[in-house]
Amino acid sequence: MKKVSASKVIIYLILIIWAVTTIFPFLWILNNSFKPSAEVLRSSFLLPQEFTLENYQTAFGRLNVLNAYKQSFLISGTVTVGVMVLSSMMAFGLSRYRFKGKKFVHSLIVASLMFPVFATIIPVYRMIVSWGLLSKNIAVILPQIAGNLSFATIVMLGFIQSISVEMEEAAYMEGANVFRVFGQIIVPLCRPSLATVAIFSFLWSYNDLFVQKVMMRDNTKYPVCRLLEEISSQYGTDFGLMAASVTIIVVPVMIVYILLQKNIIKGLTAGAIKG
Amino acid sequence: MKKKVLSLLMAGTMAASLLAGCGGGKDDAAANAGDAADAGAAGTEVQGEAANEEAPKNPVTLKTVSMFGGTDPNKVAYEAINASLKEEYDYITIEDNSQTSDEEWKAAVNADFSVGNEPDVIQFFTDATADTIVATDKLVTINEIWAEYPEYAGDTLESALAAAANTDGVMRAVPTTGYWEGLFCNKDLFDQYNLELPTDWESLTTAITTFKENGVIPIACSLNNVPHYWIEFLMLYSAGVDEYTSVPETAPEGWVKGLSLFQTLREMGAFPEDTDTVDDAYIGQLFRDKKAAMQLDGSWYSGNIEDVENTVVIAFPGVPEQKAEAGSLVGGISSGFYITRKAWDDPDKRDAAVKFVMAHTCQAGVQQYWEAGGAVAQAAVEVTPVEGASPFAQSIAEYTSAASAIVAPTDSRIGDAYKTLVSEIVKVSTGAMTAEDAINEALALIK
Amino acid sequence: MLYRKKWPLLIFLVPGLLFMLMFLYLPFVENIKNSFYDMNAVVKMPGTEWDFIGLENYKKLFTDTDVRVALINSLKMMIVTVIFEVGIAFVLAVLVSQIKRGQQLFRTVFFFPVVISATAIGLMFSLFYNYNGGMLNQILAYFGKDPVLWLSPERAFTMLAIPTVWSYIGFYFVILLTGLSDIPDDIYEAAAIDGCGKFKQVFYITLPMMKTVFFTSVTLAVTGALKVFDLPWVIAPNGAPQGLTHFLGTYMYQQTYGLNNYDYGSTLAVLIVILGVAVSRCIGFLTEEKDEKSKRK
Repeated sequence: MKKVSASKVIIYLILIIWAVTTIFPFLWILNNSFKPSAEVLRSSFLLPQEFTLENYQTAFGRLNVLNAYKQSFLISGTVTVGVMVLSSMMAFGLSRYRFKGKKFVHSLIVASLMFPVFATIIPVYRMIVSWGLLSKNIAVILPQIAGNLSFATIVMLGFIQSISVEMEEAAYMEGANVFRVFGQIIVPLCRPSLATVAIFSFLWSYNDLFVQKVMMRDNTKYPVCRLLEEISSQYGTDFGLMAASVTIIVVPVMIVYILLQKNIIKGLTAGAIKG
Repeated sequence: MKKKVLSLLMAGTMAASLLAGCGGGKDDAAANAGDAADAGAAGTEVQGEAANEEAPKNPVTLKTVSMFGGTDPNKVAYEAINASLKEEYDYITIEDNSQTSDEEWKAAVNADFSVGNEPDVIQFFTDATADTIVATDKLVTINEIWAEYPEYAGDTLESALAAAANTDGVMRAVPTTGYWEGLFCNKDLFDQYNLELPTDWESLTTAITTFKENGVIPIACSLNNVPHYWIEFLMLYSAGVDEYTSVPETAPEGWVKGLSLFQTLREMGAFPEDTDTVDDAYIGQLFRDKKAAMQLDGSWYSGNIEDVENTVVIAFPGVPEQKAEAGSLVGGISSGFYITRKAWDDPDKRDAAVKFVMAHTCQAGVQQYWEAGGAVAQAAVEVTPVEGASPFAQSIAEYTSAASAIVAPTDSRIGDAYKTLVSEIVKVSTGAMTAEDAINEALALIK
Repeated sequence: MLYRKKWPLLIFLVPGLLFMLMFLYLPFVENIKNSFYDMNAVVKMPGTEWDFIGLENYKKLFTDTDVRVALINSLKMMIVTVIFEVGIAFVLAVLVSQIKRGQQLFRTVFFFPVVISATAIGLMFSLFYNYNGGMLNQILAYFGKDPVLWLSPERAFTMLAIPTVWSYIGFYFVILLTGLSDIPDDIYEAAAIDGCGKFKQVFYITLPMMKTVFFTSVTLAVTGALKVFDLPWVIAPNGAPQGLTHFLGTYMYQQTYGLNNYDYGSTLAVLIVILGVAVSRCIGFLTEEKDEKSKRK
C-alpha cells in the first residue's frame, strides 16, 4: 500500500512540474500585459510596479477588436464544421470500402500533410482573385479547409479503423443503408476524435496569420490575428502592447478549448463503452 | 479644334477645384472654391464653374492603396487628407486599403496588378521595387496626365519629381516626402567618456575602442536583420559616388573594400555580442536605452527618439583611404502616388483620381506629412519650417543642409539582388565568406 | 456486405478530394512548373516573360551550402521531435491515465502551449534568451555569473529545439491519451490478476495496442518537423546565428519572401514534399503488417 502511494507521489510530482512549464507562459504574458514596455525588458518576471491598463486601451482604442472577434469566429467556425464533415466522410469511405487506388488516395492524403502553406498560397491567391472572392470570408475558409483536411482525415481514419464493423453489419441486416449507418452509428461513435479534429481545425484556422494576411485585404474585415499583427508589425518593441495583443488573441481560443474540452471527456467515455 | 476647347474647359474646372482642395488644408481657412476662382485669372475658371453646375458629378468610388498603415505617423495625415477630400467632394467615396509595406504585401500588390485587381490610385515605391508593376504598363505617366491636367503635381519641386522617376527614367509617381540616412549618436555617452563626435575613421575607431573598454556597445546594429545602412555607407565612402552608383557585372574593388570593413569592425568589437541573432527593433531599444553609443539609421527612425536633448545626427565619419567626399549622404525620394490606367480610362474616375493625388501632394498635403513625420524628412515641396526645433532636429537640419552629395542607396539600383547581399553580411563579418564572393553572388542575380 | 455497393464511396470521397485537388495539388503542380523558370515576380506580370532555365534550380540545391545546413537541421529536428515530443507525450499520457484526481486539470493545462500561436511563444523565448537582460541571464546575474550568449553558434540548435518540442507535446499528449482510453480496462485488469506489474503492462499491452495511434503521431511529428517554421523564424530569423539554424521551411520562406527568389523557393518546396513523402513511406513500412490485419477484419 505504501509503495503505491509513493509512486503516486512521483507521478503527481512529474505532472505538476510539467503543468508549471505550460501554465507559466500564460501568466508571464498576462503579467506583462499590464506593464509599460521598458519594464517588460527590465523585469519581466516581477509583478507590475504600477498596474496599468494602458496597453489594452491602446489596442481597443485603435482597433475594432470586437468586429475582429466576430470575423474570426465566423471564419474559423465554418472551417471547423467543414473539416469535421469532409474528413469524417473521407475517413469512413477509406476505412470501409475496398477499391482500386485506395492506397494511392491514402498516400495522397498523407502527402498533402507535407505541403507548407506558403508553397501553395500564390496560385491559390490567383484563383481566389479570379473568382472575385478576395477579402470575403470564403477566401480564407476554402484554403484553410483544404489545409486542415488531411490531418483531420488521418486522425479520423485511425479512429474509424479501430471501430469493429459488427454493429454496422447488424444495422444493415435491419435494413439501414450506408448513409444511415454513417450518420447514426459512425458519427456518434467518433465523438472523441471529432472533438479533437474540431479543436485543431479551429486553433489552426484562428492562429493562421499567413492566409489571413494574404486573403483579407479589407481592413474592416480583419480577423483577430491579422488585426493585431498590424500593431506588432509597427510596435515590435512595445513588449507591453505585444503582451496585451497576445492576451487578446489567446483568451477566446482558451474559452473555445475549455468548452470543447468537456466534449472530449464525454466523447472519451463514449469511446470507452464501445470498446 | 473642338477637342482643344473641351480640354481647356476641363483643365479650368480642375484648376478651380484643385485650388480649393489644396486650400482646404491650409490654416488661413477662408480659401474655398469660390474665392480661389475669383482670385484666379477669370476666364476659364468662370466657365469651369458653369460646367460644374451644368453636369453634377456621377458618384465615384476610388479604390486606393498606400503604404501608410499600422501605426505609421503618416497614416494620420493620410486619413485626415482623405477625410477632408470626401467632405469637399461628396460624390467621391474612397475605399482605402492601406497597409504597412512588407514582403508579403509587396507580393500581393504584384499579384493584384497581374490579375487586374489593381487599385485606382496607389502610393508605392518608385525605385527598382516598382519595376515589376511598371512592366505591366498599368501606371499612367505624368506627361500623359499633364496633357490634360497641366496643374498636376504643380507644387512638387522639379528635382523631387525627377527623383521619383522609375528606373526607366519615366516619371509616373508624385512624391510627398523623401528620406536621409545618418549616424545617430548618444552625445551624452560621448561626453561621459570625453570623446569627440567622430569625424573620420580614426576618431571612429578611437570611440569604438573606448566604448568597448567601458562596457558600452559602440555601434547598435543587427548584422542578421538590418545591416543595410552600414552596407551603404561603407560602400559609398570606400568606392566613391561614381563606382557606388554603378551597376557592375562583377564585384568592384571599392565595394569589396567597403564590405570587408564589416570584419574589421566586428573584430574590433564594434557590434553587440548578440548582433547575429537580434532584430532591428531590439537594437533600436539598446540605443535609446543608452546601452549603445551610435546607430546608423534612416529619417524614419527619428520619430522613435525620445531624448531629443542629447541625441544628435551627424555625417558618416568615414573609412580609411576614403574616396567619397566627407558629408556625402545616402538618401532620396523613393515613393509616390501613382494613378493606374484602370482609373484613367474611366471618365468619372479620372477626375477623382487626379483630385485625390493632388490633395495628397500639394503644398498643404505634403506639409501635413512632413510635420507628421517630425519635420525631419526631405519634403517634395517647399515646406514652412516649424518653430522651436530641438537640438536633435537642429542637428538633422545641419546634417542634411551640409550634405556634399545625396545618393540613392544600392537597392534602388540592383533591386531584389540586394537582399541576397544583405543575407550574406553576417558571413562576411565573421570571415566565413569573402566580401567579393558575397557581392558576386548578388550581382549574378541581376539580369 | 454492407460495403459491397461501391457508388456511395464517391459521395464520401469526392468532396474532400476535390478540396485537396483544388487548393493543394493543382497549386503544387504549378509550383513544380515554376521551379523550371526564372521568375521575376510572384506571378507572371502582363508584358513580361519568364525564362525557361530547366534544371538550374535543382543543380543549385546540390551546391548551396545553406541547403545542406537546412537539410541536416531538419533531419535532426525530426529525430528530436519523434524521440522527445512523442516520447514525453506518451510518458505524460500514461501517467495521467494512471491517476484519478486532477486528471481533467492536467489534460486541460498540458494543452495550453498548443493554443498560443507560435509567434507568441517565439517572442516569449526570445525574451528568455536575450543576451541583454533576458530571463536566463537575469538569473545568472543573480548568482553573480557572467551573461551567456544563449544563441551562440554552438548552442543555437538546442535552444531552438527546446521550444519547438515543448510547445507541441500537448498536441501528441491529447492524441495518445485518446488512443489510451480506447484500450478496454478489462485487459489491464486481467493482466493485473496474472501478476503483470504496471510497468510491464505499458510494454506488453499499451504499446502494442496503440500502434495505429503511434503511427499517426510519428507521421505528424515527422512532417511537422519538416515544415517547422514560425518558432525558429521568430527566435532566430534568417538562420541566425551565421546561417547555422536554417531549416528547410525557414530557408524556403527566406528565399521566397525574404530574397524574392520565387523559383528557388518553389524548388525548395518541391524538395520538402518529396522528402516528406519519402520519410512517411518509411514509417509506413513499419506498420504495413498492422494494415494487413485490419483489412482481414
